[in-house]
Amino acid sequence: MASTYVKSITGLFAAGALLMGATGAHAADRVKIEWWYAISGKLGDTVQQLISDFNKSQDKYEVVGTFKGNYEETMAAMVAAYRVNQQPAILQSAERGFMTMLNSGAVIPVDQLMAKQGYKTDWNDFIKPVAGFYIVNGKPAALPFNSSTPILWYNADAFRAAGFDAPSDTWQGLEKQLYALKEKKITDCSMALPGDFQWSLIENYSAINNYPFATKANGYAGLDTEFVYNKTGVVGQVARLKKWVDDGVLKIAGQGVAPISLFTSGTCATIINSTASHSGVEADAKFKWSAAVMPHEEGADVRNGTIGGASLWAVKGKSEEVQAGVAAFLNFVAQPDTQEWWSKATGYVPVTNTAYRKMKAEGYFKDHPTREIAIEQLSRGEPTDNSRGFRFGNHNQSTAILIEEIQAVWTGKKTPQEALDNSVKRGNEILRQYEKLHAGK
Amino acid sequence: MPASNAIMINREGAATRPRFPLRRSLGSLVRSSEVGLKASHFRRPWLAAGLVAPQLLILLFFFFIPTWKALSLAFVQVDPFGGTMIFVGLDNFTTLFSSPEYRDSAILTLWFTVVQCLATLAIAGLLAFATDNVMRGRAIYKGVILLPYAIAPAISGVLWAFLFNPTVGPLAQMLHELGFAWDPNRRPFDALLLVSVAAIWKHVCYDYIFLVAAFLAVPPSVMEAAAIDGARPVRRFLTVTLPMAAPTIFFLIVMNFVYGLFETFGIIDTVTRGGPAGSTNTLVYKVYQDGFRQLDLGSSAAQSVILMAIAVLFTFLQFRAVERKVNYQV
Repeated sequence: MASTYVKSITGLFAAGALLMGATGAHAADRVKIEWWYAISGKLGDTVQQLISDFNKSQDKYEVVGTFKGNYEETMAAMVAAYRVNQQPAILQSAERGFMTMLNSGAVIPVDQLMAKQGYKTDWNDFIKPVAGFYIVNGKPAALPFNSSTPILWYNADAFRAAGFDAPSDTWQGLEKQLYALKEKKITDCSMALPGDFQWSLIENYSAINNYPFATKANGYAGLDTEFVYNKTGVVGQVARLKKWVDDGVLKIAGQGVAPISLFTSGTCATIINSTASHSGVEADAKFKWSAAVMPHEEGADVRNGTIGGASLWAVKGKSEEVQAGVAAFLNFVAQPDTQEWWSKATGYVPVTNTAYRKMKAEGYFKDHPTREIAIEQLSRGEPTDNSRGFRFGNHNQSTAILIEEIQAVWTGKKTPQEALDNSVKRGNEILRQYEKLHAGK
Repeated sequence: MPASNAIMINREGAATRPRFPLRRSLGSLVRSSEVGLKASHFRRPWLAAGLVAPQLLILLFFFFIPTWKALSLAFVQVDPFGGTMIFVGLDNFTTLFSSPEYRDSAILTLWFTVVQCLATLAIAGLLAFATDNVMRGRAIYKGVILLPYAIAPAISGVLWAFLFNPTVGPLAQMLHELGFAWDPNRRPFDALLLVSVAAIWKHVCYDYIFLVAAFLAVPPSVMEAAAIDGARPVRRFLTVTLPMAAPTIFFLIVMNFVYGLFETFGIIDTVTRGGPAGSTNTLVYKVYQDGFRQLDLGSSAAQSVILMAIAVLFTFLQFRAVERKVNYQV
């Protein structure tokens, strides 16, 4: 307690000293644009590179990027800051916080901002699954920034040793392969459970197999949506995962270890993880690796997967010149060249068709075939109400409940059906609470 | 001799508790003599107020204002950004009390706090007793035991999580080789055990240093008398040292409860994140999860109010008991 107090006091002094120092310095001529972001590690380094490129590209604005923890922590920091009018000008917020940001009353719709500041952004250029997520009533609410989707990463050496060329494209086939890897003692861990398994193995699974996750087109058609995933193939999926966990085929990384590192270190032979793992896997994996689209159920009506990742929101309550700076920066981010560079450096999908076509024309995907898997998976089939995406109020809360209930399946406390029934029941309470609070939006 | 003088005043003040403090303080305004006043008495109230002000300001900013905020949020449903707010009366509380998850969390917290409190005290007591009987290298022994207290909870939490990680942790591998099906990701008891051990390990040093001091404060004459009567070290410890250290032990029980209830947050956050399936989700961690991770501010505020009520009640009961049962004077 006392130490926080002391820290904030010294912080105050430090800020004062900086302010006094800065007035004399050249840097004061530039308008400071604060940006809070939520990605770290190699991806964080790339974000800093992006910022420094923008700052070098012009001399009116200076974007100051601050890493505020993961998506949830960044959002919590934003909420706290907004309530005392200390918010940043730009916020990176994940797809799960979309409704929270959209209905917060704390943001300026990005198309309004860009039009007002005189930038022409071709919103039709954004690739379909990305546009389908961020465009509300024909207007984009935020600028799609880092968009990803989960793909199946595999250790090609291990697969070859077991006599397989590539992973099967169905869950049934993949199950046989994973068990074979274990039985032939090629690995002790056929698959690692990703930290965001609810996103890949449940939500994306549901979309790809064209199962409804909730009524009202997964929330797109109204706040009175209700979860229904306890009545679809998701129940069988959870039962399958439980069996794999029990048989030691699927390993839970747990605290203290990043699941993806179980793959890159060679401990586990496969993992279904974000395409944004590319930069990490390329740097760390010392074996021959590859990736494939996520499997689907045998005989399923296969559709596109849904996106994850985050977008950039322009936050309210900033001066005109800061807003102009925000627009300038967002415009810089939306440029095809920036998009292309960002996608290559990180593994996130290029979010505009122009950037995608450019990369394709250069032959980038011939040299880096795994970079195209995410786009392929995102554009399989015509999107349906089940596969377009998810729009749930307080999605973080219902997600936490879903994870907790599925963990109760791992521990053996509940059957998959019991857990998902309870998860749907609790999740619907969250949806009703949100509907009550945001009636008429 | 100012030192002995101060003690005399203290003793006098403690021995004769004023029955009518108001009348006496009024009397002090007219009386020129200061006999019978406490040593900490100030004749000019503004100086006293000035000296107390920093502490009061800290209390204002870190206790009264947050308390007011929590109370004002506990009866509403609110958008995280504060745009919309609906008064819901006691809904946040009734939802909590009817939720099986909250009940599980409460039972878990009680279990965890009691086990942690007793185990910490027992281990620290054993170590302190040993220290009392160690002749050589006492400083090194003390230093080693006190080390964990210097490590930040988050750091030690990450280390515990890693060492006992069932997939890569070296100590978990050892457990597997010994035939234990150790897996805190899937076995709630393992997770709870891991969190408890980490919490105890961290807090033993705190109890230890207080107990060492308390045991040292036992007058040698009493111990010698017991020894002459034929009591062996263990007997002397149980019948002389422990009763004489009772006030310290009582204080430590209170502190251990406070620690277990409120300060194990960092360890839980790094070792298990409240999982699996909420099996290590204590009441305090739940406040954080619901409030800061999931932005359900209404429910989180209601939970804080409940916790505050528990803390106030607990402190009140403890101090009532302290006043009646525990004798601080030797």
